Amino acid sequence: MVSPLVLLGTPLGMAFLLGMLQNRWRFASYGITLLTMTCMSLFSADWVLGFASGSLVATDFSTAGAPPPFAISLRMSLTEASLILLVNLAGLFSTLYLKEELLRIGRRGMAVLLIDIMALCGIILTRDIFNLFVFFELVVISTGGLVLLSDDQRAPSAGFKYLIVSQLISVLLLIGIIFAYHSTGTLNIDGMAAASLGLLKGGALAFFLILIAVISELKPFPANGWALDIYESAHPAFSAIFSAAASSAALFAVAKLLPMGGESWLPVVSSIGLVSFLAANLFALCQENDRRLLGYSSIAQTGLVLVVIGQQDILGERYLFIAGGILLAHAVAKAGLYWLSGLLSNRHLTAWTVLRQSPLLLFAFISFIALLVGLPPFPGFYAKWELVHLLAQEGRLAILGLVLLGALVEAGYLFRWFGKVVKRSDGGEEAAVFSVAPIKTLVVFAAVAGGWSLGYLWGQLSLFDNILHTIPVLFALGFLLLERFPVWLKNSLAIVGLVSYYLISYPAYDPMQLIFGTVILIGGGVILLASYSVSGRRMGFYPSAMLMFAGLSLLIEAKDSFHFFVAWELLTIGSYFLILRGKQSEPHALSYLVFSLGGAFLILAGFALAAEGVELFPLSSLSQVTADKAPWVFILLAVGFMTKTASVGLHIWLPGAHAEAETDVSPMVSGILLKAGLYGLVVLLLGMGKQQLYGVELTHVMLWIGALSALLGNLMAVFQEDAKRLLAYSSIGQMGYALFGLALMNHLGWLMALMFVINHYIYKSMLFLSVGGVAKRTGTRLMYQMGGLITLMPLSFIAVLIGIIAVSGVPPLSGFGGRWIFYNAILTAEYRLPIILIFLAGPIAFLYLFRLIHTLFLGQLKDEHRQIKEAPFWLIVPQMIFVACLMAFALVPGVALRRFDLYLNQFFPQGGLNWEGVSITSQFGYWSPVSIMVVVMVIFASLLGWLIFVNRKAQKVKQFNMVFAAERPYRPETTHFAWNFFAPYKKALGFLIQPLATRFWGMVMDLLHTSADLTRRFYTGNGQTYAIHLLAFVVVVYLFSMGSL
Amino acid sequence: MNFEWIQIPYSLLTLFIVINYGLLLNAFIAKIAARIGRRHGIHLFQNHIDLIKNYSLRTSITHGVMFYLGPVFRLGGGVGLLLFVPTLYGSEMFSNLSFSGDLILALYFVFFGALGMALGAGESGHPHAAIGVSRGLSQMTTAELPFALAVFSVSLQYQTLSITEIVSLQQGGFLNWTLFTNPLAVAAAMLSFLGSMMRPPFDVVLAPQEIPIGPPTEYHSSYLAMMQTNRTIFPIAKIVIYMNLFFGGAASWPVFFLKVFLIYMVSVFVGVVFPRFRVEQSIRWFLIYAVPLGILSILWV
Repeated sequence: MVSPLVLLGTPLGMAFLLGMLQNRWRFASYGITLLTMTCMSLFSADWVLGFASGSLVATDFSTAGAPPPFAISLRMSLTEASLILLVNLAGLFSTLYLKEELLRIGRRGMAVLLIDIMALCGIILTRDIFNLFVFFELVVISTGGLVLLSDDQRAPSAGFKYLIVSQLISVLLLIGIIFAYHSTGTLNIDGMAAASLGLLKGGALAFFLILIAVISELKPFPANGWALDIYESAHPAFSAIFSAAASSAALFAVAKLLPMGGESWLPVVSSIGLVSFLAANLFALCQENDRRLLGYSSIAQTGLVLVVIGQQDILGERYLFIAGGILLAHAVAKAGLYWLSGLLSNRHLTAWTVLRQSPLLLFAFISFIALLVGLPPFPGFYAKWELVHLLAQEGRLAILGLVLLGALVEAGYLFRWFGKVVKRSDGGEEAAVFSVAPIKTLVVFAAVAGGWSLGYLWGQLSLFDNILHTIPVLFALGFLLLERFPVWLKNSLAIVGLVSYYLISYPAYDPMQLIFGTVILIGGGVILLASYSVSGRRMGFYPSAMLMFAGLSLLIEAKDSFHFFVAWELLTIGSYFLILRGKQSEPHALSYLVFSLGGAFLILAGFALAAEGVELFPLSSLSQVTADKAPWVFILLAVGFMTKTASVGLHIWLPGAHAEAETDVSPMVSGILLKAGLYGLVVLLLGMGKQQLYGVELTHVMLWIGALSALLGNLMAVFQEDAKRLLAYSSIGQMGYALFGLALMNHLGWLMALMFVINHYIYKSMLFLSVGGVAKRTGTRLMYQMGGLITLMPLSFIAVLIGIIAVSGVPPLSGFGGRWIFYNAILTAEYRLPIILIFLAGPIAFLYLFRLIHTLFLGQLKDEHRQIKEAPFWLIVPQMIFVACLMAFALVPGVALRRFDLYLNQFFPQGGLNWEGVSITSQFGYWSPVSIMVVVMVIFASLLGWLIFVNRKAQKVKQFNMVFAAERPYRPETTHFAWNFFAPYKKALGFLIQPLATRFWGMVMDLLHTSADLTRRFYTGNGQTYAIHLLAFVVVVYLFSMGSL
Repeated sequence: MNFEWIQIPYSLLTLFIVINYGLLLNAFIAKIAARIGRRHGIHLFQNHIDLIKNYSLRTSITHGVMFYLGPVFRLGGGVGLLLFVPTLYGSEMFSNLSFSGDLILALYFVFFGALGMALGAGESGHPHAAIGVSRGLSQMTTAELPFALAVFSVSLQYQTLSITEIVSLQQGGFLNWTLFTNPLAVAAAMLSFLGSMMRPPFDVVLAPQEIPIGPPTEYHSSYLAMMQTNRTIFPIAKIVIYMNLFFGGAASWPVFFLKVFLIYMVSVFVGVVFPRFRVEQSIRWFLIYAVPLGILSILWV
């Protein structure tokens, strides 16, 4: 092992050496710098490995041959080693990245860089407070120098502002140190902690000054205008160091100093962190400049780590795991993003669209964003999971809520950015220049590799499984490697994968899982058949789709809250990428993601509240949650799940997301993905049953929500002009029915809900495929632009026909079974009023269904559509399979339902069905699907035979060949009655569909953006103002903290 | 209840009786209306003659498969509805095919014909047909609602969905009829009944007095004949359900004829007195007057 002294001495010595070289020996200077950085990284890596393997223990190294307080001591432990490795790697890669600039500037720039890295290491290693001050000063000076590396004209002014503020900070720090020394008589940090500086006379003030100075180095809100200007104008490679390394070092300094003041200072740190986290994320919302946005994000992440540091009293031995997870993820991602930004010349967020030219860089970009947001399998995910659980366990719910809120806002703007990058046009002539310098790209990929390795490492270190060890996830990620292969190959592999996983897993499923599992895996396979209609490579589709299916299949297998939540996040992310692929889907995919993550955070909070400190909380323990917490857990989880089922109020993401998705994606996200929410509700209701809050029965509330969703979803579907939107709204209604069935909390209600799971999968997938096929051929989704396609697209027509008969519940198809069970279920329901809404909703389905089939296939054919062909073969195949399934399910519903009916007896022993031969009886009535089918068929066939007999010479006449109002029709367009089809209905009931939810969420968004926009004006760009901000910040924190101490 | 082959001829007999009765009933009602207007009115067997004439016409054209199937769906719906419900209480012979399902089957099978008809009319390409469908469906959503609530109320009251059982529970004197045991439900259902009979004030869907509108616009000859047949059967099939649910059912044909006539006359009387509603007006009317009665009835049971 190399002594820490050498670690500090080497770069210092080399910096001096560089000073002695000749100016023209640029390459030699660069070589020396690079070599130094490499050695430093290797030395620190050696330390990390030593500590990780357990062969080393934390050690203090004295300098000048004397122990503290007579000399400075340095400490080396796993934490210090990891952080200096981080700092040195950031330095090394930035040196590589800065090759051209450093060669241009020459040895002085290199020396400053070396000093900067050395000083950061010093901040981490030293245990002496004055020494700490010295290293901070060194960082200030070298930072000032490095900022000037940038070509940006604003850089000098930013550097100058930085120096002004830094002097203020230094003054505070120095005064604090003087007072602290006065009180304790030592400069050693541990010595001061042992002397309980915070408790001594005047010590609290001294500690406050020290703490506030070091915290100010973290650029907390609002004293951070100067830092933002640096982030914005400095060279990206330097910003990478500034964000990844400098912040980490300063954070560690805060953590190191805190024991001096004692535990009473923790809330102060937490509060500052929380305010920074929330405010910086909020301000980032309205940033259009990439580097400034990243700057805000850095401040936010630093704030979050500060919160974790402030919560160390409850985090126990998981403190390092949590803080490290967030910090390292942030450092790697932020460094990577800054390096990436250096490849582009335009600073507007949309300029990043050029990344699309290189799929690998796009992958790097999304990896960094996932790292920042803390999605599985990255370290932030594990860290946040544990943080939230510990916060909930200790009852620090306000902090928990605010952290999750900030994280949601952060995910919002980061994914909005990603959406822009993937979907926006690349701006024509203003397109950014894209330099793919191999070395710079390599540096970026090093960060990607680092991020994924950290993900793996944190998975190994976590108390739970490593997500990267799960077969479905690996299968999905494996498709990343197959991106170069054609669709047919990948598609076959995907289908085989889904079906084989089903075959392996299904023997272990209970009947409930079996139904969901079949819909997900087999159902997914059937829908994927439609994907054969796409040619080419279809980059990005398969990893996303398979990630979604991985999440779904893991969801139904999950036995405990951790695995459940992991699966939930995976399916959310996978489906987000899928939805984003649609042509116009950028805003809709974003709203889907924000709502889904919002829902996911509620679920996370719910689980955390329920777990009460249990490490691996089994889902079956939901029944044992204590009575005072149970209703709250219930609400959090239920609202989370209802976000996914798009219950009314939380539904606004669905229509756009489902309608704008690609043809074969819409059925996946509608027919299959929505079931995830239902599955969650099933788990929740089975576990927790009925809950009461202030005397209100929560399942009763769900009953109303379900009924309202059914009614309003159906009503909104009636007034759509876009065929896919119509189907999407109809899903809201259908999910409302299923929710209603579950909330009935009786045997038949559940049976109905499960029947909806199957039925809705079949007919909604089928309808989306047919409508998608029609839209593909006609080039429009607006129904009034179509018409008369029945003879040109007969198979699509049959699918829609069967589909709408099934949806509407008309006998003899399977929809009727659902209605019959529904009626039997409500006869034993405790609450009757919500049923009225469901009754009203029922017939409304006829309205939109008829509209769908009429305006597409019936009526007048438009001239421009006369040459249209049937939908592509591979779109028709799954539709015909669905038609067969619907017929079969209509005849013998018992095949799927009987086992489940028996299974429900253990939860709801009353009110099951009797399955005798072909007829089904309940305690109230009876139903014989086969008889109905036969009777209807016989009557139908007899009448048809009769008509054919009397009317055998019927002559086919074109639709246009008719007379109305005593005139010939003028054109098909004026004769096809389709636009605003239900005008009188709108007059009568249109008032019910005021877009209240859309307006409400729009208002929330406006409020966020407006407040962000107003308050960011606070950063004037004036150095004096920034100095005043800093002073005001210090005073305010002083008043608050002294008041609370 | 199980299927036996003898039920097929029995069912056909029911059908035969109901068609003839329906044709006569319609003619009779037309005649009453004419006599009020001091006209002579049509011949009692005029409807029979029209039907036979239309079935015999050979000048038929078609606009396509769905157009062709539309009347089949329509009449199939009417015949099915009639046969899924027992016509006479206590009679094996006239319990028809009710072994297939209960009240809910009847309730939903009503839509079979309507949906098929609407599709057939849609393929005719005639805008008036589509306008009629749009109006009809719109009105139906709220017109059927009080009835659905009443049915729910009645099944709650009798704790069964079997029509036969509901009738049997109303036996033993007219005071046992649902009309008297659950008047709110019956009131709601009867208001809903007005909406489904295609008579004023709720007949804007077909608007029979002015330009031809609604599904039949493009239909003629044997297609029209089938739809006429359905117009004969369907109201009666519907009235049978009302009779069974609310008015004690019928144990013999004379009682059947009488009760069906009287229930039918409710809509005729209202139709003679009131002018026609526009669709949005009728939707509001049902929501304001009929639905609250239905809600009260389920809360009251």
